Amino acid sequence: MYHFGRGWARLLPYLLLLPGILFYLLIALGPSLATTVYSFTDVSGLPGVPVHWIGLNNYKEFLLLGQAAKDNYAIFGRTLIFCFFVTTIQFGLGLFVAMLVNQPLKGVNFFRTLYFMPVILGAVIQGLIWSLFLYPLGGPVAKILEFFGTRSEFFGGQPTEAFAWVIVVQIWANMGMTMVIFISGLQTIPSELYEAARIDGASGWQVFSKVTWPLLTPSVNTNLTLNIIGSLQAWQLFLVLLGYRNGTQVLGYTIFAQGFGQTSGSVTTSFRQGYAASASIVLFFIVLVIGMATQYILRRREERILG
Amino acid sequence: MKTITGRNINWGRVGSYAALLLFTVIYAGPLLMLVNTAFKTLPEFMKDATAPATSLGFKNFVEAWTKANFPRYLTNTLIYTISATTIYVITAVFVAFPIARGYVKGANLLLTMFIIALFLPTGLIPQFQLMLRLGLYNNPIGYILLFLINPVGIVILVNYIKSIPKELDEAAALDGCGYFQFIIQIVFPLIQPAIATVTILHAIGIWNELVLPTIYLTNKDYYPITRGMIVFQGVYGSNWPTLAAAVLIMTLPMLILYLVLQRYIISGLTQGAIKG
Repeated sequence: MYHFGRGWARLLPYLLLLPGILFYLLIALGPSLATTVYSFTDVSGLPGVPVHWIGLNNYKEFLLLGQAAKDNYAIFGRTLIFCFFVTTIQFGLGLFVAMLVNQPLKGVNFFRTLYFMPVILGAVIQGLIWSLFLYPLGGPVAKILEFFGTRSEFFGGQPTEAFAWVIVVQIWANMGMTMVIFISGLQTIPSELYEAARIDGASGWQVFSKVTWPLLTPSVNTNLTLNIIGSLQAWQLFLVLLGYRNGTQVLGYTIFAQGFGQTSGSVTTSFRQGYAASASIVLFFIVLVIGMATQYILRRREERILG
Repeated sequence: MKTITGRNINWGRVGSYAALLLFTVIYAGPLLMLVNTAFKTLPEFMKDATAPATSLGFKNFVEAWTKANFPRYLTNTLIYTISATTIYVITAVFVAFPIARGYVKGANLLLTMFIIALFLPTGLIPQFQLMLRLGLYNNPIGYILLFLINPVGIVILVNYIKSIPKELDEAAALDGCGYFQFIIQIVFPLIQPAIATVTILHAIGIWNELVLPTIYLTNKDYYPITRGMIVFQGVYGSNWPTLAAAVLIMTLPMLILYLVLQRYIISGLTQGAIKG
């Protein structure tokens, strides 16, 4: 029931809703859907260049033709490796730390605040802080590694090495989010269950595996889904820490580099935006397939546990 | 095991503190290194990168502030963040309220339309083509336009408005309150917690944005602080004391805001992530 009058007055909600909806259609939904259309063209980022319909050519080039396609498969592989390590480690650490700070210990609020902090800083600050922390010529981490008789070139090292350090920074930056979601999950578990388990003489591990873990299912699902999708799409730390370096690229960065030029500072490539659009669609399908598979597995698991 | 006073040592507790300490080193360490470096001179830093700073000079900060064109970049970021967030939040309430109340036809469909975009491919390229054709490329107004949307914020607002009893609308209408007046004078104050959450979620996103200014702004006078910082890094990359001071200047406002508004910030970002 609408109470605020009839006639013209009845149209007021529509009228006032319009700006928000228009912005959204124009800037977000429309472009998002149009990406498919653009992926079939040779549109470039330069104004005034004629646009041609080229059918599946972008996809053919991206997935099938020569060395570029081979490089792209390496990029897919790297994206999946990044996703795997970031998801598993961030998930495990997030759960562990959440359980740590969910105990009645002194100063847990301080620790929570500190561990969540990087989330608000954004890729530029996160990246620059770590570039300094991993300063290769006698920085703190370099000294610790030296103490253990080893060394690293960090972000200036071999591609695999630099890539691994980006994984470290990515996890550092986002673990707080996983932690907070787990904390809110832990706080929904009634304390009577823990008391009952203790009275029954359950060991710490039994309490975790029989009480905490199954009852955490909703936050487990949320965190796994967020971590998987987030890490498949993540690339900004690569931009800040490494630039578009061979042997380190992930798919999200490739889309940006093909469409808008290679590095953050200079504009170099030919702005192949049709090609970049087709890469966006490929990334979308990778996220879709992996995301749906995860949902399917998590749902079956949930049914098994919670019946 | 008993201590001298006869109390049991709780090894679980000791282990927990040890683990917390380890994580504290990992989380505070990079920040401490940043602060320490910002107070050192370049020769000091070259000699020993980790040695504590010997004096509390602000030379690096002054140099960073003037050479990095900070006043300009910070002003730009503030203008972008404040104007886009204000416009967004106001339009978002006018979208969320009728959807939550079912005052417009197809309210559920509209809400689905907002949620669906979270799963679709990035629209960066068509968006760029549109902006280019509208003459809004390298244009501050166009740049602000890009931030007038945030589907997650709409979802948060809709959920919160649903918790406000509908009888209120009826009572206000009987008293002769109009739709616009009702939203401005009654709904806005009532949903303040949700507005705070959405405002912060949105503002932090704009403040930290790096990709959009890289794509859309080529004129240095329009750069926000993120883009300006990357440029500064390119020039001062090897002068870590000055660069660290610059990074610290950029970090401090966020850090202070975080400490003051922690509750809203954590809830905003977490809801943002979950709904996203």
